Amino acid sequence: MFSQYWAIMRREIRYMWRDKSMRTILLFVPLLGLFLFAGVYGSQQLDHITTAIVDLDKSSASRQLIDGLENAQHLQVVAYPDTYDRLEELIEKGRVVIPEHYGRDMALHYQARVAVFIDGTNMAYATNAAGAVLAVTRTLGAEAGVKTLIARGITPGQAQEAYRSIEFREEAWFNPTLNYAYFLLLAFALNMWQQCCTLASCMNIIGENGLRSWLQIKASGISTFKLFFAKSLVQIGVFMLIVLPVYLIAFAVLKLPLASGWPALLLLTLVFTLSLHSLGTLMSSISRNAVNASRYGMIVALPSFVISGYTWPLEAMPQWFQPLAWLLPQTWFFQGINYLTFKNPGWEFTGHYLLALGLMTVICYSAAALFTRGVKVPRRLRGD
Amino acid sequence: MKQILNIAHYEFVHIFKDRILLMIVFIVPLLYAALFGIIYVSAILQQVPLGIVDLDRSAASRAVVQAFENTPNFKVIPQVDTYAGLEQAMKNGTVRAGVVIPEDYAQKQSQHRLNEILTVYDGSNLIYGLNTRKYFQQVLNTFSAGQTAAYLAGMGMTGQEIANVMDTVSFRLQVLYNPTFSYATFIFLGLVIMILHQIGLMGVGLTVTREKENNSWIQFMSAAVPAWKIFAGKALPYLIAGIFNYSLLLWVAAFFVNVKIEGAVALLLLLGLLFEVIIVSLGFLISLYVPNSLQVTRYIMLLSVPLFILSGYTWPGTHMPAVLNGLARLMPYTWMAEGSRLVTVKSCGPAELGVTLLVLTVFAAVSAYLAATFSKNRKPTAQTGLAVNGTVSYPRK
Repeated sequence: MFSQYWAIMRREIRYMWRDKSMRTILLFVPLLGLFLFAGVYGSQQLDHITTAIVDLDKSSASRQLIDGLENAQHLQVVAYPDTYDRLEELIEKGRVVIPEHYGRDMALHYQARVAVFIDGTNMAYATNAAGAVLAVTRTLGAEAGVKTLIARGITPGQAQEAYRSIEFREEAWFNPTLNYAYFLLLAFALNMWQQCCTLASCMNIIGENGLRSWLQIKASGISTFKLFFAKSLVQIGVFMLIVLPVYLIAFAVLKLPLASGWPALLLLTLVFTLSLHSLGTLMSSISRNAVNASRYGMIVALPSFVISGYTWPLEAMPQWFQPLAWLLPQTWFFQGINYLTFKNPGWEFTGHYLLALGLMTVICYSAAALFTRGVKVPRRLRGD
Repeated sequence: MKQILNIAHYEFVHIFKDRILLMIVFIVPLLYAALFGIIYVSAILQQVPLGIVDLDRSAASRAVVQAFENTPNFKVIPQVDTYAGLEQAMKNGTVRAGVVIPEDYAQKQSQHRLNEILTVYDGSNLIYGLNTRKYFQQVLNTFSAGQTAAYLAGMGMTGQEIANVMDTVSFRLQVLYNPTFSYATFIFLGLVIMILHQIGLMGVGLTVTREKENNSWIQFMSAAVPAWKIFAGKALPYLIAGIFNYSLLLWVAAFFVNVKIEGAVALLLLLGLLFEVIIVSLGFLISLYVPNSLQVTRYIMLLSVPLFILSGYTWPGTHMPAVLNGLARLMPYTWMAEGSRLVTVKSCGPAELGVTLLVLTVFAAVSAYLAATFSKNRKPTAQTGLAVNGTVSYPRK
């Protein structure tokens, strides 16, 4: 009874292995992606933002202010240009004088106004810098204010009170050090993985009924369901197998956070793999050849990460677009990964995600079955 | 010249015959640009859902709540009003930030004792995290200043005196080039160039493999047409389409997505021309050496994410290991993305772009030279044993 399933499964493993480019892609690309992105985000935080200070006052007071800035977190003062024009030049040519963007620059007029400039070209820098600068300026502003009050004959205690009646404690939950590697590394690697899986699952049907051997399979009387069920089992198994080392390295070696624990993560991954495979199978069933199947699959898979709202949040996209984004399995997966790795939202929450992905799987497989049933063996393959 | 035009005409016929190729060459870039445009059109992250846990419920604490209600950056979610509720809402994403006002807030304030307000934000998405932190700082800076002014007024100082004290050091924060912190300006152009890069390669990458699969490449190899003419003829339609798409997408970016595109148009066109020459030449080379269309499609597709991340367009190259940064410098995408950003956002002129233009010119010259001088005596790719999908002949119905 099961020997036929077993035979088809063994044949599928051989099939996948024989497809050399697919073999290379499945074996190496997800891991290569992981290592590459681990390298890119190795420094984890955007600190040492290059800073220039223009001191037009050159008094002891301004010197004090400079000290404060030099000691500020995330800042690295690398230049002290003499004039404002020279500073502008540095920002403009920033990447030439000091490699990469001139993160933050400050022109200093003590006892009048301190102008703070931030290079807004790169947002990763700019938002980081703006938050840090605002915190530093509040502290420095308060210190200066206290001194002025004392100079005016107010007791130090009262002066302190005027400025320090409220303290703001700031906590970043789930990712307290604002670590970019925690945020992006695994997600990007999984993005590569889902693209590889899309490419592979796009071969599911066309890889059979696009070959001359399809005639033999039809003639042999094996049920189409049995054939594709056994094939799909192997492919899904392979997709899961290649994501395991990615997870292992990410969580065990690179020590990325995993708040929800393994069972929820693996279950979400499995159900997503099913839905992704069903989508690929659907693409495969409607295509005229393998190239088109791969194209259709990738046209969806490529932008899916941006659509998923993993980086630029879904809530910031137009209202009417948001429900459309949730039609993609990738949106559920990447959102789910974000919640599971950082937050552990509980099974009730995860259940919705599993249900949605499961529903998509059923719909896509059913549609693929409908398309495949209707297809006759094309004349070109019939050989008559 | 006639030979080149003949080959170009033949290639055009192919493009118009293959409906999917036609879409890839003329429609898909616009579709992708429209899609990303829709995603980033709001450009600024506002209305961050915020939960305020006011344990004091006094007039004084109400003032803090109001400070947060009065900014478009936050949207206060009234359902969240306990600490446990805040924790839960942060976990399931109902709110992305929270403020906790302690229960003895008003009492401490009247006694002039140190008060502590807790602000929390969601670090699991750093776009939310960093923006929220910035918004918090803005609200709190304003609020603290108000508090200090009130305190000084309570000590009997006049308005002018208070202003003098508080202006001892005043900080004016100015964000250059992208003052509104527009994400569209930040990322959209990079995505557009990636679209042109990928879809361009996808189109021209099949120009030779298609001939190989139809067994017609041998006609080109044996015809009395020099290699460079074959390249020129085959590349011309894609070059025209590429430059058309480049201009179209820049126009879409500027007029529909409100991306900041300033700087010299001539310089932008020059960059686009160099970039398209590189893409067309590289695509032709890939097509020449990869055995079939399926493999071209597979490999090219997987390039986009690594190229984009490595380019330093988002995460700066200074914060990457030198090896990876060096690797990125070998990719035309890195230079093109950086160059076009310098022109459009920073309005840089030819002087600042010197290195970028030089590198892109070298890339264009080398890739075009290699593509134009391919050997016509090359043996066809050998078939190696029994293989299934993805080999010299791939499945087709």
